[in-house]
Amino acid sequence: MSTASSPAAALSFDKVSMQYPDGTLALDGVDLRIAAGEFVSVVGPSGCGKSTLLKLASGLETHTGGEIWVDRSNLGYTFQDATLLPWRTVLPNVELLMELRGVPAAERRRIAMDQIELVGLKGFENHYPKRLSGGMRMRAALARSLALNPGVFMFDEPFGALDEITRERLIDELIALYLRKGFTGLFITHSIPEAVYLSSRVVVMSRRPGRIIAEFDIPFAWPRTPELRYDPEFTRLAGEVSVALRRAIEE
Amino acid sequence: MSRAPRINPERFAPVPVEQPPGPLRAFVALMLPPVLMGLMLLGLYAWTRWNLPPHRQFLMPSAGDLWAQALSRPEVLAELWNRSLVTITIAVTGLCVSIPLGMAIGIVMFRFHVMERAVFPYLVALQSIPILAIIPLIQSALGFGFMPKVLIVALFTFFAFPTTLLLGLKSLDRGILNLFRLQGASWWAMLWKAGLPSAAPALFAGFRISTGMAIIGAVTSELFFLAGKGGLGQMLINAKTDFKYEQMYAALIASSALSITVYLVFTWAGNRLFASWHESAARRG
Repeated sequence: MSTASSPAAALSFDKVSMQYPDGTLALDGVDLRIAAGEFVSVVGPSGCGKSTLLKLASGLETHTGGEIWVDRSNLGYTFQDATLLPWRTVLPNVELLMELRGVPAAERRRIAMDQIELVGLKGFENHYPKRLSGGMRMRAALARSLALNPGVFMFDEPFGALDEITRERLIDELIALYLRKGFTGLFITHSIPEAVYLSSRVVVMSRRPGRIIAEFDIPFAWPRTPELRYDPEFTRLAGEVSVALRRAIEE
Repeated sequence: MSRAPRINPERFAPVPVEQPPGPLRAFVALMLPPVLMGLMLLGLYAWTRWNLPPHRQFLMPSAGDLWAQALSRPEVLAELWNRSLVTITIAVTGLCVSIPLGMAIGIVMFRFHVMERAVFPYLVALQSIPILAIIPLIQSALGFGFMPKVLIVALFTFFAFPTTLLLGLKSLDRGILNLFRLQGASWWAMLWKAGLPSAAPALFAGFRISTGMAIIGAVTSELFFLAGKGGLGQMLINAKTDFKYEQMYAALIASSALSITVYLVFTWAGNRLFASWHESAARRG
């Protein structure tokens, strides 16, 4: 694939705009460059278009101005809820994306079992989603994307509906998966501590029409441990992001 | 500025846990209301019959007569059995026409929105036609054979399939749709792996109602077709003509029993199929 405009970037937005047919400008000239192996979080006021950003990157919606460079061949994607097929148990749910891509049944099963074990759902292969907790459903959704061995993994506020304790555990598990698999991450969230804890870079968006108004490099070493959440440096960085976000809301 | 009212704590004593009723009491509580209601209805029947002048009492046969003239006689039972089979054959054949056709129309309406706009008003219009009223027309056009009866059953049952299926397909979770779109899945893959399974419980509810309707349709169709080897509907008319009201009641009971059996079988099968994942199919306590 020719990436003439940005050879090192795994994903790049070049002055991307998005206007809905009714004239609403959702995004206005978004410039964002994510290097291979980076994990970037996007925070912004609600309704600022951060979810739109992800839909454009994944191809669920099309933009109306500028250029997007992205490799969608093995795209990982999690929605705001787990989006499991309720009539399938965990194992065939994890197999679904491979099934749609025509992976042979035996290989599919082997890969799915590996991913299920990796996310800690071993023993729950034959459970229907109805009988799983919210956190377990999200783990199954992660396993489903991991089965494609994604190069780029996009997350649309995936843990927003979970309770605090489950969410912190899942974030630690997600970091472990990121370090193990080495995908490039683009994570949408409204939680500043979550963004700072999880990312190598945090991007702040303005109110609608969404633009990127601040970026913060997060220097903490990997893997990150729960103690980091009480580190003064962590608090200082989260505070800076928070100030930028408040400015984005008030301006 | 008003101040908060003064607080007066009251004492609340604990309430001991109630013992759940034993299995016998639970069974009685479950069965007693419908049994009592049934006995009251039978009492009402007996009272109405007792109040009829004697020369009209044949309209409402007594239990003894029903047993002596119909249900104890092997030849009547054999006739009930054979005619039930004919009725079932008509109903099932009619469903074999209306189910695939109805589902195909539902899928086409789902695929092409313009088809929904075009077809749906006529489905509603079809539903509003009194089918009983056009049976004589069907009879004049197609004669007295097996196929016109099948057509009547198909007309009786057709409506539920395209409408319930379309409703079920349209209520597919948007996130699941996006999940498939991200993989560039074909429309057929979406239909087969997401749309139809998701719509299955709604469609099944349509099945449950329509199959009962199919029995009613089959019995009704025969009221107008007295030639050939008929089913329970023909037996109803024949028994009336011969003043064998006990046999007429027996045929009536048999056709109700068929409808109820079909309904129960589908309810049971629906629970078996969908209870593991679908909320509405879960057994109520």
